[in-house]
Amino acid sequence: MSEKNIDEYSGRETTGHEWNGITELDTPIPKAIWVFLTVATVCAVIMWILLPSWPLGSTYTKGLLGADERETVKKNLTQANLVREPWEVRMAKTDYSDLKNDNELTTVIMRNGKRLFEDNCAMCHGLDAKGGHGYPNLIDKQWLWGGDPATILETISIGINSGHVDSRASEMMAFGRDGILNVEDRKNVIYFVQSLSNNNISKTVGDEVIAAGAKLFSENCAVCHGENGKGQTELGAPNLTDPFWIYGNDYETISSVLRDGRQGVMPFWSERLSLPERKILSFYILKLGETD
Amino acid sequence: MSEKHRKLERSAMGFVFAIILVGSIGGAVEIAPLFTIDETVEEAPDMRQYTPLELAGRNIYIREGCYACHSQMIRTLEDEVERYGHYSLAVESKYDHPMLWGSKRTGPDLARVGGKYSDQWHVTHLNNPRDVVPQSVMPSYSWLKTNDLEYRDINLDLTALSKVGVPYTLEMIDHAVDDLYAQANPDSVKVDGLLERYGEKTTIRYFDGNRSSVTEMDAVVAYLQIIGRLTDVSEISDLSLPRNPGKKE
Amino acid sequence: MVSNLTQKERYLAIYISAALTMIGLTIGIAGREDILGIHGALIAVIGLALIFIIGNSYYEPQPDSSNFKKYFDDTTKAGIIFSMSWLVFAAFIGDWVAWLLVFPEATFDAGWASFGRLRPVHTTGVIFGFGGNALIATSFHVVQRTTRSRLPDQLSPWVVIIGYNIFCLVAVTGYLMGITSSKEYAEPEWYADLLLLAVWVLYFVLYLRTLARRQEPHIYVANWYFLAFIIVVAILHIINNLAVPISLTHAKSYTIFSGVQDAMTQWWYGHNAVAFFLTSGFLGMLYYYLPKRAGRPIFSYRLSIVSFWGITFMYMWVGSHHLHYTALPQWVQTLGMSFSIMLLVPSWASAGNALMTLNGAWNKVRDDATLRFMMIAAVFYGLSTFEGSFLAIRPVNALSHYTDWTVGHVHAGVLGWVAMIVFGSFYTLVPWLWGKKTMYSTKLIEVHFWLALIGTLIYVFAMWNSGIIQGLMWRAYNEDGALAYSFIESVAAMKPYYYARAIGGFLFLTGGIVCFYNILKTIRSKAREQVKQPDRAPVPTAAAETQRA
Repeated sequence: MSEKNIDEYSGRETTGHEWNGITELDTPIPKAIWVFLTVATVCAVIMWILLPSWPLGSTYTKGLLGADERETVKKNLTQANLVREPWEVRMAKTDYSDLKNDNELTTVIMRNGKRLFEDNCAMCHGLDAKGGHGYPNLIDKQWLWGGDPATILETISIGINSGHVDSRASEMMAFGRDGILNVEDRKNVIYFVQSLSNNNISKTVGDEVIAAGAKLFSENCAVCHGENGKGQTELGAPNLTDPFWIYGNDYETISSVLRDGRQGVMPFWSERLSLPERKILSFYILKLGETD
Repeated sequence: MSEKHRKLERSAMGFVFAIILVGSIGGAVEIAPLFTIDETVEEAPDMRQYTPLELAGRNIYIREGCYACHSQMIRTLEDEVERYGHYSLAVESKYDHPMLWGSKRTGPDLARVGGKYSDQWHVTHLNNPRDVVPQSVMPSYSWLKTNDLEYRDINLDLTALSKVGVPYTLEMIDHAVDDLYAQANPDSVKVDGLLERYGEKTTIRYFDGNRSSVTEMDAVVAYLQIIGRLTDVSEISDLSLPRNPGKKE
Repeated sequence: MVSNLTQKERYLAIYISAALTMIGLTIGIAGREDILGIHGALIAVIGLALIFIIGNSYYEPQPDSSNFKKYFDDTTKAGIIFSMSWLVFAAFIGDWVAWLLVFPEATFDAGWASFGRLRPVHTTGVIFGFGGNALIATSFHVVQRTTRSRLPDQLSPWVVIIGYNIFCLVAVTGYLMGITSSKEYAEPEWYADLLLLAVWVLYFVLYLRTLARRQEPHIYVANWYFLAFIIVVAILHIINNLAVPISLTHAKSYTIFSGVQDAMTQWWYGHNAVAFFLTSGFLGMLYYYLPKRAGRPIFSYRLSIVSFWGITFMYMWVGSHHLHYTALPQWVQTLGMSFSIMLLVPSWASAGNALMTLNGAWNKVRDDATLRFMMIAAVFYGLSTFEGSFLAIRPVNALSHYTDWTVGHVHAGVLGWVAMIVFGSFYTLVPWLWGKKTMYSTKLIEVHFWLALIGTLIYVFAMWNSGIIQGLMWRAYNEDGALAYSFIESVAAMKPYYYARAIGGFLFLTGGIVCFYNILKTIRSKAREQVKQPDRAPVPTAAAETQRA
C-alpha cells in the first residue's frame, strides 16, 4: 500500500485491496452509527436492569421492577372484572321477565351474548341459533329439557351427556343393534312415529301397520317419549309429534336412530364460562327466540 | 480495529473459528439455562402421557400441518385468557416432542379445545368445516373417517419417546397396540388394562361414532379432546378467576 | 456438462451415482412397509438417471487443457436454472395456498392439496429451493473471482448442487405425502436431514479448499458472509434436528427436545434461518454483484466489519422474540427483545453501506432495471429489519403475533429483499456466464421489475391491514368491559385482504415467469459474438495442472 488509491467521485482513499475489480473505500464509520449503537445499547441495558433478563446458573436476574407477566395479566383480568361488575351484579338480581323493563341491560346482554354465542355455541347451533343436523334449534321454542330461564342456564352449565358429575343424561337406545326390536317391528314403529306428525302416512302404509307400530311404541318407547309421543323434558326425550326434528324425519334417518340409538352430547360450560356469561347466554337465546 | 481485522481476513480458518465462537454465544446463554433453572417448567404431579391413540392422533395433526393455522399457546394477555381460558403453562407441553405452540392463528387457538365440543361435532367439522361453520376457511379432511388408522407399529413410537424422556413404562410399550384399540372400542375387554395404565379419567369412546374400525378420525378426535387436559391447570396455578377452567363450582 | 469433467471425475461420478442408487435401493427395501420406501425408490431412480446421463457422455473427448485456466462455472449455471425452476414452482404453490384461503373448497378432497401440507412445500421451495440454489450458485461464482482461484475440483460442486436439490425434492415430496417433523423451516425428517448434512459438510469443505487456494491475501467481505451462512446454518441444522427415529425403516422421528426447550431451540433455529440463510448469504451476494454492476467501490470497509460481526453476534440472541408472553420464561423474552433492538444498528449499517455504494451511480439506477432491483432490495432489507426490530418489542408483538402481520413482514423480506437481490444478481450474471453482451430483453427486465415491486407492495400492504385488523379485533373490549368480537368475525373480516394478497402474489409469480423466460431466451439466443466475462483470469495453480492428468 505504498501508493494511495483515491476514488475520483468521492475523493476518498480506498483500502488498497482489489478483488476482481471491486475495491472498498476506507470511509470511517459514520458518527451516526456510533450514536445509534450507543442509544440502542443504553436501551438494552436499561431493560436488563429493570426486567428479568440474565440467567445465572439455576436462577436469573429479576430486574428492579419485579415485572412478572403472569402477575400482570392477573391484575389486568381483575381490572376487567371490575369494569363489568356493575351490570353483572344488576343482572344477577334480574329475572328474565324483568328484562323488558330494563332496556339498558337488554342491550348489554344482546351485545355480549352475541360474542359469547359466536365463540362458544355457534359452532354447533349455528350463528343464527337455528341449529343444524344433530344440533337443536334454540329459537323454535321447542326445548328438550325445558325452556324456562333457570333450566336453560342449568343445561348450559352442566351439559348433556357431557362428563360433568351432574350432567343431564339421556340415551336413545339401540333397539336394532341390541336386538330389542326386529326389522319388521322397527318398520312399523317408524311408520307410526312418522304418522304422529304426518297424517298422510297411514293412507300410504295402511292402518294395520300404524296400529302395530302404536302397540310397539307403547311397549318400548312411551316410557321416555310418553304415551302420546309428546316427549318428556325431565328425561330430555324429544317431542315426536311436532314438525321439529334434530336429525330429520325421513325414513332412513329414523331407521338409523332406531337401529343404532343416539346419545347426543352438549358440553358443559361451568368450567369454561363464568356464571354471568352463562346467564347472558341463557337470556340471549330466549331473547332471540322472542324476536324471531 | 481495522488493522487487527485485516490480519483475521488473511486466515480462512481464523475466520471460521471466529464465526463459530461469536455465533454460539447467544444460543448457549438462552437455551442451556432452560434446562438448569428449575422454575422453567412447573411441577404437575398428575400430568400424564398421551395414550397411544392420542399420540397417533397427534401425529396426524402434525402430518396434516394443523399447526400452520392453529396455535396451542395461550399467551399471558387478558383478552387471550378471556377468550381461550387459562394461559398455557410450560408443564402442559412437557411431553410434547415436538411442541406444537404454533406461530399463526388463521383459526382459533386450540390449547384448551379438549372437551369444548362433542366428538360428533369434531367429526362433522373435520369432514367439512363449512357444514357447521359457514365462514370457515379450513380445508375439509373427509378422508380421516374412511382411512383405517395404521397402528401396528405404535409401540415403536412409544419406545422412541421413552428414549427422549417421556415416562412410558415397558408395560405401556408392550401393550401399546392393545391400548390403542381399546380406547376407541369401549366394549373391548382390553379397556381395563388401558385404564390401569393411563388412569381412570382416560376417555374411552367410539370417537368417530363408527364401531366397526379404528379410523384416523378416531385418533384425531381423541387427541383434540385431550389437548389442555393432561393435567389440571387450576391445581398448579393461583390464577383464580370466574372463568378459570378446571375450577369446579 | 459431463464433457467438462476429466476421465477420473467421470469415473468417480459414476461411482457416486451408483452408491446413491444403492442407498436409494436399501432405503426403498428397508422402508417398504412405510412411506420411507417411496423416498428410497425416488433416490434410486435419480441415481440411475445420473448414471445414465454420465454414462452417455462417458467416452466423449477429454476437456481441453485451456478449460482449467478458466473459472469453473457449470455448477453456477445449473444452480441458476434450478433456482429459477424452484421459484416458479414454489411461488405458484404460494399463490395457490393464498387462493385456498379465499376458496377453501379447492382441495379436490385430497390430503396433499390441503393448506397444511402445501404450506411447507411453499416455504421450503422458496427458502431452500429458490434461495438455497441461488446462494450456492452465486457463492461458487463469487468465491472464484474474489480469490482468483478456480474451484479445486469439478466434481464436488456437482455433488453439492445435485445432492442439495435431491434434499429439496425429498423434503417437498415428503410434505405432500405427510412426512414432516412440524418444525417450521426444518420440516424434513431425519434421513433428509442427514442427506443435507452430508451435502453441507462437502459444501463447507469445498469452500474452504477454494479459500485456501486464494491468490488474494485478504478474504473479501462477500466471502465472510457466505462463510457465516454455511457455518451457522450447519450448527442450527444439526442442533434443531436432533431426533430419535422410531426405527431405521420408518420416516417418523421424535425430536429430543420437548415443550419449552423445544420451542426455544426451534425459534433459535427459525429466526436464524432467516438471519443466516435469508440475510447473511444474500448480503454476500449483494457485496459482489452490486458494486460490480454499479462500478463503484464499497462505501466503507470499516462499516462492513461492524455490520458483519454485529449481525453474526446479535442475531443468535433474538429468536426468543417469537415467543413473547408464552410459557417461555420472561427473562429469555427480555434478552430477545433487547438484542432485537440492538440488531437494528448492524442491519441498517449494512443497508446503508449498500445504498451509499450507489453514490456516483444513481444515474445508472435510474436507467438500469437490474441495478434498480438491487437498490430496491437494499431498501426492503432496511425496511424489513426495522419492522423486525419493531415487532420484537413485547407490547407490539402482543398485537402482531399470530396474525398476518408476521406473514406480511416475512414476505417484505423474502419478496422485497431476497428475491429482488437474486433477480438483480441473476440479470447481471446470466449474460456473463453464457457469454452474451446483455440479457435477451431489457424491456422484459423492466416489466419484471414493476411486476415484482407492485406485487410485493400489494402483498405487504394487504397483510399489514389484515394483520393489524385481526390483532385489534382479538383484543378489542367493548363499553361493557367484555371482548367485543368473536373469533369467526375476525376470520370473515380477512376476506378482502386475502383476495388482495393472492392477487399481489400472482403478479409476483408472473414476474418470476417473465424472468425465467428472459433467462432461457438469453441462454438460447444465437449471439453473433461470444462476450468474455469481465474477469481477471484466475491464477493457474498446480492443482489445476494435475487435474488434466
